[in-house]
Amino acid sequence: MYKGKSAYDVLLFIVTLLIAVMFFFPIFFNLMSAFKSNSEIMRDAIALPTSLYLDSFKYLLTETEFPAAIVNSVVLTGLSIVFMVVVIPMAGYAIERSSAKWTGFVFLYFLAGMMIPFQAYMIPLFKELKMMGMYGNLVGPIVIYVSGSVGFGALLYTSFLKGVPREIEESAAIDGCSRYGIFYRIVFPLLGPCTASMVVLNGLGIWNDFLMPMLVLPSGKPKTMIVEIFYYVGEFSSRWDMIFAGTAMSIVPILIVFLALQKYFVKGIATGAIKG
Amino acid sequence: MNDTKNQSAWSRWTGRISPTVVFLLPAIALYTLFVVTPTFSSAYLSFTSWDGVSDKIHFIGFDNFTEIWNSDRVHNALKNTMILTFALVVLENIAAIALAVLVDQVRWARNLFRSVFYFPVLISGIVMGFVWTIILNYNFGVINRMLELIGLASWKIDWLGNPDFALISIILSTLWKQAGYYMIIYLAGLQGIPQDLTEAASIDGAGKWQQFRRITFPLLAGSMTVSSVLSMISSLKIFDQIAVMTDGGPGFETETLTYIVYKVGFGELRQGFGTAMAMVLFLLILIITVIQVKVLRRREVQL
Repeated sequence: MYKGKSAYDVLLFIVTLLIAVMFFFPIFFNLMSAFKSNSEIMRDAIALPTSLYLDSFKYLLTETEFPAAIVNSVVLTGLSIVFMVVVIPMAGYAIERSSAKWTGFVFLYFLAGMMIPFQAYMIPLFKELKMMGMYGNLVGPIVIYVSGSVGFGALLYTSFLKGVPREIEESAAIDGCSRYGIFYRIVFPLLGPCTASMVVLNGLGIWNDFLMPMLVLPSGKPKTMIVEIFYYVGEFSSRWDMIFAGTAMSIVPILIVFLALQKYFVKGIATGAIKG
Repeated sequence: MNDTKNQSAWSRWTGRISPTVVFLLPAIALYTLFVVTPTFSSAYLSFTSWDGVSDKIHFIGFDNFTEIWNSDRVHNALKNTMILTFALVVLENIAAIALAVLVDQVRWARNLFRSVFYFPVLISGIVMGFVWTIILNYNFGVINRMLELIGLASWKIDWLGNPDFALISIILSTLWKQAGYYMIIYLAGLQGIPQDLTEAASIDGAGKWQQFRRITFPLLAGSMTVSSVLSMISSLKIFDQIAVMTDGGPGFETETLTYIVYKVGFGELRQGFGTAMAMVLFLLILIITVIQVKVLRRREVQL
């Protein structure tokens, strides 16, 4: 009986391992190819690098505008997240803790936005940004990201707040704390795990976004890492080593953040999934 | 001095407004200005022949929609979008359930496996598209190289250049990228199934497959509703991979509805027509989602 059980476990482990190897291969292939010269890649795509070839990184970081694109990606992701953390938690809190009818309508109004695909409103949106002087700089994309995250963010925070007992807030109110004080000193810190989920999921989306920054950021200047990589695929179609170095630089930071903050990715997806 | 005066004026002003309003105002303002308003403008622009640049916007009634209805290019894109979406929803959900069950059942290194299956989700569509373009390359790619190594050189295929295989290549590489996301949803579903149900079945003599088929799978219906609606929406909107891997080609073999919105609106400067296409896409998503939720909800049971 016991023996049969353990054979099943070993078999299951081997099957899972084989599938995991298949899943990891493209990422491994990318990271490995970043350390191969172009002729090495062309000669044998699946051979391991013979030496640590770093010229493509050097070239990318000194001869192209890639460093400026890295700065743009970091600033864009960072600032958008800061503004999201300012705007969204308090909105979610106001909706969840209010019994007024109108906040219920506001919640439905926000949720409706989750159904609208970006492509459905992007063309007039760009026209609007041009009129407001937010086209061709980082302000436009930041505003778009923060506005676009309201629906999912409100859902995430209201479902999290349902599990946070009101008693703490009530006793703080009795002690004379203002509503603003209650929110910033007591509730906001309690929302930490939820904020972490929103930050990692939205941060990932912004870091990896392509279409919107390509269209909104000024032409002729470096845009974001992902947009530059897209251009390189067209321009340097024969310099795969260089593009691999670029893609590796975009992947490694997210892998590190993911490994450090995994549980927030998982929780965020699970919470979002409850309502869909 | 002036500072404190301002401060008290400020607090007197805010004191009169309910904190609920103050907390909600920024979100309402941003969302209304940058999501809702442009969506309504889109609905209006879809009845015009606007080019995206000039100040003059001509109202042309239903002309854009008539053109969409009659255009072979749109029909082709609609067909591609439907094939892509149907294949992805089915394959992603099968793969995700399989991965979730494996991660749930495996005895060792469970968290490591979960992370590895989730890794591709983290990668941008552009990067993933490039990596797969190289893996699928005819002369130097990984797949054809492996076929050579095992002596099947005659099976080599120009995966992205051959009209018969381009769409399949995009479907399979997207499957690789997305399966891990839905796996997380199914894993959450699996954890919600009480252990005693499968244990009882096991005592009654049900094998592993029977347990899955009769107990686990039906109880995953809730996760399946969520997961297939999400995968349907994301498949209908697929864009980045196509931009890098095929640019809609060869010919128009992999052109989808979102790709036409982009090509027509920004490549050909026909933004009136582009918004009309976008509206059609939006309605399509709305209708399919509603039907899908209705049908799938019926399968769900309450524990």
